Amino acid sequence: MTCDLALKAIPLYFYGELTPSEEERVEQHMHECETCSRELERQRALGPALDRRRIEPSAGLLEECRADLMAAIQGGAGAEAPSANPWRLFLAALEHSFRGWARFRQPLGAVALLALGFFAARVTPIAPFVAPARVGPADQVFSTVRSVQPDNAGGVQIALDETHRRVISGRMDDQKIQRLLLTAAREDNPAVRVESVDLLKSQPASSEVRDALLNALAHDSNAGVRLKAVEGLKPLGSEPEVRKVLAQVLLSDDNAAVRMQVVDLLVEHRDDAIVGVLQNLMQKEDNSYVRLKSEKVLKEMNASIGTF
Amino acid sequence: MAEHTAGTAGARLSSQVDSLIRAAQRGDQDAFEQLVRVYDQSVLRQAMNLLRSPEEARDVYQEVFLKVFRNLHTFRFDCSFHTWLYRIVTNVCLDHLRKRIVRKEEPAVVETGEGRVDRTESFEEGSAHADPERKLWNRQLQERIEEGLQDLTPRERMVFEMRHYDGMRLRNIGEILGTTEDAAKNCLFRATQKMRSALGDFV
Repeated sequence: MTCDLALKAIPLYFYGELTPSEEERVEQHMHECETCSRELERQRALGPALDRRRIEPSAGLLEECRADLMAAIQGGAGAEAPSANPWRLFLAALEHSFRGWARFRQPLGAVALLALGFFAARVTPIAPFVAPARVGPADQVFSTVRSVQPDNAGGVQIALDETHRRVISGRMDDQKIQRLLLTAAREDNPAVRVESVDLLKSQPASSEVRDALLNALAHDSNAGVRLKAVEGLKPLGSEPEVRKVLAQVLLSDDNAAVRMQVVDLLVEHRDDAIVGVLQNLMQKEDNSYVRLKSEKVLKEMNASIGTF
Repeated sequence: MAEHTAGTAGARLSSQVDSLIRAAQRGDQDAFEQLVRVYDQSVLRQAMNLLRSPEEARDVYQEVFLKVFRNLHTFRFDCSFHTWLYRIVTNVCLDHLRKRIVRKEEPAVVETGEGRVDRTESFEEGSAHADPERKLWNRQLQERIEEGLQDLTPRERMVFEMRHYDGMRLRNIGEILGTTEDAAKNCLFRATQKMRSALGDFV
């Protein structure tokens, strides 16, 4: 092997991309040629230096990406945020592409709730309660094969998970449907939570719904769900309990779009408590919309911008 | 034995992925979400490392999986889903890298699992304790690596990223990029040559 060929083979040798016989020829050459051997050492030193450049995206970023994606697919929260940044405009433009999936949303206050696996199991024990609602003509079953094992008798053992899907329909003012939605608002799937909270917000008069909205706003990990919850709480912006949660969220939520919605709702009704909240907010807020809004309200209320 | 176990686990994952794809193709949104979760971390990691910007990585993530969502019905199982997906990933990343070349920008600070990191400081091992000479050396090495990476064409950068960091085989990389294994080999060779020449006496 010539030095020229050996040098060309070094990266492939390093990355294990040569055939065994090519590898052997490279090794033979390295044994005999000091210059090429030094080159191989340089290649080896390059690897760890590059490895240290590697970065891991934060778990928060991954969760945000997932939430944005599911919100985009649902055609829901993303498009309705107050700011019209390029991403949201992009989502709005995309909404037309998702007509096929729009069947997951039910217009005119009726809901078809798609309940999967454990959720269906949760519904089953309360079957008499569900009975009046219309159940789909046939259950769909999806199977996932977990393992396949031949046995000694010439047969085979297949372990599979089965997921049953039921479709339950009813009107939004149906108490049973509301109860199912309240359960769905706590589902693991953020897309189901977004949709459920979106539907529940049409019934804020119910104290159960109000509590679910407050809980979603204060604790849901998905910003799309929290945005839907703020929207649902709009008619209740003067209630002390709601305002307490709004103030907490304004000071602690890490999503600027949520804080923008919350500050708008909170300042619609002005009380003395709001001054302290906004002054605290001004100490740490970095979103310019929220800052300007707070500053304006504090000025209008003749309060100082900062705390002393 | 270990290989056999890994093979079995791989086959099981592949069979689960196939079930998810089929369910998602039938319109099962939950299956689509599960399918996304099998791959999204590595897609985001690749975008983050190529583009060094959380905002751009986020855009890549959305573009990729929205394309998957819209085109999944065209997937016919005639190649592995991984290859199909990474064709989309590489196309989207190549677009961003090309735009990056036009804009000539590279963010200095990146958001990582460990918080915000200044690229120019990320090489300083145990920076609080490292001696000043070592710190200076690390900083210069880091700068040289960044310069070297800037010299790579978007295609060379993709091949280098997929081989060095993601451990993909060149045959698979060629398949993803719609080219031959030999072309991928040449790309990797050129990329490593450029990197070694940028690093000069450092390695």
